[in-house]
Amino acid sequence: MLETRHVSAAYGPLNVLSDVSVRFSKGRLTAIVGPNGCGKSSLLKAIMGFLPISAGDILLEGVPLHGISRKALARRIAYLPQDCFCPDYMTLGELIELAGYSRYSLTGGPSAQDRDLFKQVLETVGLSDRAGFPVNKLSGGQRQRAWIAMVLAQDTDVILMDEPVNHLDMKYQFAVLELVRELIETHGKTVIAVLHDLNLTTAFADEVVLMQSGRCITAGPVADTVTSDNIEQVFGLRTQIFPRDGRLVCFPERIGHASVA
Amino acid sequence: MDRRSLHLLLILAMLAIVLVVHLFFGFHAADLPNLIAALQRFEAQSYEEAVLLFQRLPRTLIAIYAGGIAAASGFVLQSLVRNPLASPATLGVNSGAALFLVASALLFGASAELQGIAALAGALAGFLSSLAVARLAGRRNDPRGLSLILSGALVSMLFTGMTNALLLSDPARRAEFLSWVTGNINHVYIDRLAMFWWIGALSVAILLLFARPLTLILLGADKAASTGVNVPLVSRFAIGAAVLGSGSAVAVCGPIGFVGLVVPHIVRPFMGNNLVHALPASLIVGAIVGLAADLIAREAFYPYVVNTGLVTDLIGGIVFIVIVKRFYLSPGSREAS
Repeated sequence: MLETRHVSAAYGPLNVLSDVSVRFSKGRLTAIVGPNGCGKSSLLKAIMGFLPISAGDILLEGVPLHGISRKALARRIAYLPQDCFCPDYMTLGELIELAGYSRYSLTGGPSAQDRDLFKQVLETVGLSDRAGFPVNKLSGGQRQRAWIAMVLAQDTDVILMDEPVNHLDMKYQFAVLELVRELIETHGKTVIAVLHDLNLTTAFADEVVLMQSGRCITAGPVADTVTSDNIEQVFGLRTQIFPRDGRLVCFPERIGHASVA
Repeated sequence: MDRRSLHLLLILAMLAIVLVVHLFFGFHAADLPNLIAALQRFEAQSYEEAVLLFQRLPRTLIAIYAGGIAAASGFVLQSLVRNPLASPATLGVNSGAALFLVASALLFGASAELQGIAALAGALAGFLSSLAVARLAGRRNDPRGLSLILSGALVSMLFTGMTNALLLSDPARRAEFLSWVTGNINHVYIDRLAMFWWIGALSVAILLLFARPLTLILLGADKAASTGVNVPLVSRFAIGAAVLGSGSAVAVCGPIGFVGLVVPHIVRPFMGNNLVHALPASLIVGAIVGLAADLIAREAFYPYVVNTGLVTDLIGGIVFIVIVKRFYLSPGSREAS
């Protein structure tokens, strides 16, 4: 489906991606995991064309994305940035309508088909009764679902999410990731998400890309990639990993600080 | 009907009322049928009818043009530079246009058409100077964009000083521009409106066409690009249209300050930040404010008529303070949006 081949990129003199080759499987949730500053967000930005790549290729179904127009790319891949900003007074309905921009003509607006899609999207994220509500007045969890609704309303096969559960409490983290699983299982989406929490990763992701210092250390199904050795190599932290209720649990060992009484 | 369409209808009705008051205030009620008939056949048979057709009507059209364009430009500039204090008056656009126009007339003896072109060039020069000064001051380290507004104020002061110096140096011709330079809606400028209206119309058309991508840019450059917006192209076209439109309004009647600053703040609570709705509303409310300010300038101190630019500057100065307090000085003040 989506593939990076030997991709390198830099911010000025600072190399942020070095020779990254990853294949993202169709209809799966792939989590990009690694320590701060390892190039997780940069990889998403390179795919979106926000970060110019100095070497390599990014291909979508075998076709290089290089040189593709913004509108054409927007019909294939949607992107949820790490920090979303919504201006005051903008309602959820307006936000969702804006998402279909790549399908509208210069003077036109959403078609009847688009409006049906927007309705479905609001149902999917459970915010049908909030369309006329200002986004900034929604609760934290609802707001994140609003941004996911916007990404869904773009109606693409591939969705990139940069830390979609940041700033959310545990309950909302689970709710949002359960919603993401629903997108994959019932809507057939392909989702690539930067995640920080290894336990959320093992609970929800199908595949994992482990990154360190701008390189891809390993990539593949959760059970093959999330191993004690790999985690120690990437995070420099000894971690016990054991199966529990059909998924892997990561338990970092103490690193010399006071224990909880 | 949704809430925003209803608001749009309401402000259209308000525009109609202000328009009628602006045209007919001060005439005897008994003359009204004749005056309306004169408007319909566009021919004056009495002194009152001549006043209506050749003094009132030109003022009305200029007030609508100057107010509408300034407000639409102000909304777009506030959206693109993400600063609630941005406007043609605060980003050096108006003072640049005024300086270049006066310089072209006094130094090079330019014709009215060439003065208009000079005003457009000056509007761009004023905006780019403000950007350049802000960049020198390190705008990147200033997330609230206050340095851009301070740079705009600096550039405006410099350009206004230079304009005044030029006027003082030419006693023979300064009377011609002395009133214009403070922003004066006057029927004699209708010829200039006839010359330059299409620039404003074109600017507004471009801004309306780009309303949706401009709204997406409000969500952040990356988010906008990911939904298919060519951010650099749309930003450049929109800023160009906003700046040149404002320049054309200055070319007509001088710098009518602060309408572009104030109107977006009036419009947002009712129409939101989606430019698809807010931009047409800004045009209409701008026209209402332009007409109302001109009505005050014309009637409040009767029999004296003051410059409309002075009225908008007085009102705008107070609103400027309120906005600064609300966005920058109050505890927990919000990010500029």
